[in-house]
Amino acid sequence: MNDKNFHAIHITKDKCIGCVRCMSACPTRAIRVADGKARIIDQLCIDCAECLRVCPHEAVHSHTTLFASLEAFEYKVAIPSTVIYGQFGPTVVPNEILSALRRVGFDEVYDLSSICELNCAATEEYLNEHPQPRPYITATCPVVVRIIQRRYPSLCGQILPIEPPREIAAKILRTILPKALGIPAEKIGIIHITPCPAKIVSINSPATLAKSYLDGAISIRDIFPQILKALRKSDEDSMMRHLFPETLFSGTGMGWPLSGGETRGLKSHRAVAVSGIRDTMRVLDEVEGGLLRDIDVLECTVCPDGCVGGPLGVENRFLAKSRILELVAAAGEHAVVDQKDVSRLYHKNFLSFDHPVAATEPRPLDHDPAKAIDKAKLREKLAADLPQKDCGVCGAPDCRTLADDIARGYACLEDCPFVKGRKEKR
Amino acid sequence: MAAAEPVYRKEFPVKGGDFAKAGAAACEIKELLKDLGIDSSTVRRAAIVAYESEMNVIMYATEACMDLTVSPEEIHLIVDDRGPGIADVELALTEGYSTATAEMRELGFGAGMGLPNIKRNADVFAIDSKVGRGTRLDIIIRTNGHLKP
Repeated sequence: MNDKNFHAIHITKDKCIGCVRCMSACPTRAIRVADGKARIIDQLCIDCAECLRVCPHEAVHSHTTLFASLEAFEYKVAIPSTVIYGQFGPTVVPNEILSALRRVGFDEVYDLSSICELNCAATEEYLNEHPQPRPYITATCPVVVRIIQRRYPSLCGQILPIEPPREIAAKILRTILPKALGIPAEKIGIIHITPCPAKIVSINSPATLAKSYLDGAISIRDIFPQILKALRKSDEDSMMRHLFPETLFSGTGMGWPLSGGETRGLKSHRAVAVSGIRDTMRVLDEVEGGLLRDIDVLECTVCPDGCVGGPLGVENRFLAKSRILELVAAAGEHAVVDQKDVSRLYHKNFLSFDHPVAATEPRPLDHDPAKAIDKAKLREKLAADLPQKDCGVCGAPDCRTLADDIARGYACLEDCPFVKGRKEKR
Repeated sequence: MAAAEPVYRKEFPVKGGDFAKAGAAACEIKELLKDLGIDSSTVRRAAIVAYESEMNVIMYATEACMDLTVSPEEIHLIVDDRGPGIADVELALTEGYSTATAEMRELGFGAGMGLPNIKRNADVFAIDSKVGRGTRLDIIIRTNGHLKP
């Protein structure tokens, strides 16, 4: 599937009661409420899941992969986001979590922290070789890529063209496993486990690859009960994992899901990390205005505090963050990835995008410039007539957006209860 | 034909020292240009010009009006400020020259790229400054026919 308008976020009409919480929370004003139900405008939605966070009726859901749907694969591989290590108490070590996932039903489970470190080293090489433009923007967060395509098209060329760790890991496994196991590639399912609803967007509708190397994304929330069950039943296994740890974790990579973690391992470049959707948009506005040119790389993640703040996690993000910081400290600073391996893969373009990020079709007031100017004037006049109360009763998030909708022909002035009331009095 | 050409005009007042609203006018201008269907590379140039000139007002002047006029052919921005003026315009147009105070630099401003950066991104650039009175920038960015249907 490579549908440019694929979305992870959907509204279940039966559960939606038409309150306006999601509409007010949407940072791109992509939601309208009509006939008592919320509706998402596809071209404006960036899958940030702010609506999912605020809906009190569980009417907003995300299309993540279900474990049961993996039955079709002969061999199932999980590559969980390192966020998963922060979802359990301090006595549960990462090796135990990986082992529990095997007991849940994955044939093999691979840690991503070393690949995160590899990505960071590749980023360093890329920045060394490309002194311009500045700043580059990292491509790990699929929502950031989507928001740039939709709202900051002139920044598409500033997206740093190294694939995120999840895709690099899947690509390596997809290259090696079929030969090693003697199983056809299409029978091997490689699944990401994540607190993020938008990863499924970059899998089903990749912005930089002809096809994603991943077969799906399961939410941590969905698979958490099964992991917990597997952990409880495995006292001996747990002791084994504590005493004979088999995976070497990267400290640099372990901190990846915390804001600033992606760029913390850079040695000779100036990085700035931004988290949260509104702050990300504010900073991208500044970059589009030509600011931050003295910064080499800008790391943006739209969830608060980074991926650890993803809405489909289980543990609250503060505790998860604290646990991950412990693990970062325990893993230490030493590199687990050989720089020569990184260089070889980097120079073979194994880590690069297949193609650059392309802007989506713009959405002007009108494709005829003269008409667009007329509509902008009309919009201004309409906005002045509206009460500026931003009450949302009309079904648009604020008066300015209602004026925009009217100018585009999607709504009428009488949708505003204040205007309607005024007219009826006359 | 030229006489009937549609023109969009809007004024954006900017107050000196108002760092809380820094970039707000430029941001609004940028969104407006996108809504008018101007191509993204032209919008980028206009955004840089608007940001830099707005920041100049906030950092140095008392107040200004940013007067934006958009036609299908060009984006015309006049930034007329009441402020200290620039004693040596030639010097201020030199790459890297800055009069920013230490405090401004701490905030990340004052890399000395303001005026030269505006000039670089404009198709037509005129500056008129009187010490003790203020500075007027007159900038045109052509849309290169991208706006034409």
